[in-house]
Amino acid sequence: MSYNWNWGIFGNPVPTGDTTYLGWMLSGLQTTVLLSLSAWVIALALGSLMGVLRTVPHKGLSGIAAAYVEVFRNIPLLVQLFIWYFVLPEVLPFGLGERFKQDLDPVTQQFVSAMVCLGFFTSARVCEQVRSGINALPRGQKNAGLALGFTLPQTYRYVLLPMAFRLVVPPLTSEFLNIFKNSAVCSTIGLLELAAQGRQLVDYTAQPYESFIAVTVLYLIINIVVMLLMRVIETRSRVPGYIGGK
Amino acid sequence: MITIEKVSKHYGSFQVLTDCSTRVAKGEVVVVCGPSGSGKSTLIKCVNGLEPFQAGTITVNGVSVGDPKTNLSKLRSHVGMVFQHFELFPHMSITDNLTIAQEKVLGRNKDEARDKGLKLLDRVGLKAHAAKFPGQLSGGQQQRVAIARALAMDPICMLFDEPTSALDPEMINEVLDVMVELAQEGMTMMCVTHEMGFARKVANRVIFMDKGQIVEDDSKDAFFGAPRSERARQFLAKILQH
Repeated sequence: MSYNWNWGIFGNPVPTGDTTYLGWMLSGLQTTVLLSLSAWVIALALGSLMGVLRTVPHKGLSGIAAAYVEVFRNIPLLVQLFIWYFVLPEVLPFGLGERFKQDLDPVTQQFVSAMVCLGFFTSARVCEQVRSGINALPRGQKNAGLALGFTLPQTYRYVLLPMAFRLVVPPLTSEFLNIFKNSAVCSTIGLLELAAQGRQLVDYTAQPYESFIAVTVLYLIINIVVMLLMRVIETRSRVPGYIGGK
Repeated sequence: MITIEKVSKHYGSFQVLTDCSTRVAKGEVVVVCGPSGSGKSTLIKCVNGLEPFQAGTITVNGVSVGDPKTNLSKLRSHVGMVFQHFELFPHMSITDNLTIAQEKVLGRNKDEARDKGLKLLDRVGLKAHAAKFPGQLSGGQQQRVAIARALAMDPICMLFDEPTSALDPEMINEVLDVMVELAQEGMTMMCVTHEMGFARKVANRVIFMDKGQIVEDDSKDAFFGAPRSERARQFLAKILQH
């Protein structure tokens, strides 16, 4: 097989002339990082809320949270993305869908749909992690909080959640890594994130090896940074005298 | 102080408590004993509303525990409770364990709460450990901190749910000593425990439970002298022998 390796292509200007192919790569990287981080904020906030609701002694609330998890965990991510992007704007009431389509430029529409989709999808998984963390605590902890006069919300705030979150840092790290990897699915609605830029580079330069090697390396770098960050959090939050502590 | 009247509780079809009635007067120390599964822990958890019950009434200092209108958090904030497994908060230093409820529930300021907490920590002999975390203390030490944590709320009475049964034998006494001292100071106490030595020393009354019922409720002397029921006699014979 004869293949002409040419790493120089990254320095070449793109057809429109306003940047280089490396510029395309980096703008894809930027989109991937921004998309994943903003989706992670949604996932963490919503997932924690739902995870708490799943454990409260109230059938209605825990039922709602359970239904939420089943919906967002059991529909393929790709299908969810199409629903958020293609279907929802058509069915939103009060002209909200029209405004979404008319007032926002296409790139923002894609970004918002992808962000909400990834956020909700991941929140269902975060919810289950948080719930398992709370349930892993000794039952007496909740009683001890209540017996001191804490209300139930205070018991969660001061007693249960600080320990539950410490316990689930490792599984949450996996979810955090997943959200970056899952963001590649968003290229299917035309969002030019990292994977999409990689494919575009192949189309324009006919250098598939260089393009996809660069994409692979960039994803690896993102996730190594995430892992290091989460390791710092894990070490910093260790409880002296407790499992994994010093 | 604590009045329990005809309290019954069941989980589904399983009856845990049947028609339990007793009272604890101010300054009185009442020991609750009985075989495991007899409902004694459940009964004591009903007193501060940690376990709901279906029939009967419990009043603490004139407040009805089962009444849905009762502010249970407020009631619990002045009923101290000590648990079998200590239940200190592992992610907080000993000092924070002692002060957090004072600050968040009673609204005391930081310095006030700290002074109070450290004074009580000194009282249970653990002043040197203020900056440590629960996981760095022995079981007996943790339980003494747990008692200090409950006392920091200035409770009107204290509930003990098997405070020594998760401890190594050599640590039991350090906890019992604190409890004896507390009893001698006139604290109203309801203790679920198998420590008959403790009961003999400080209890005013002993309640014996079996299968969810209060079988005996008598003065200490009457109970240890001549228990009325055959079941209590068997129980005493077994635990006093070993």
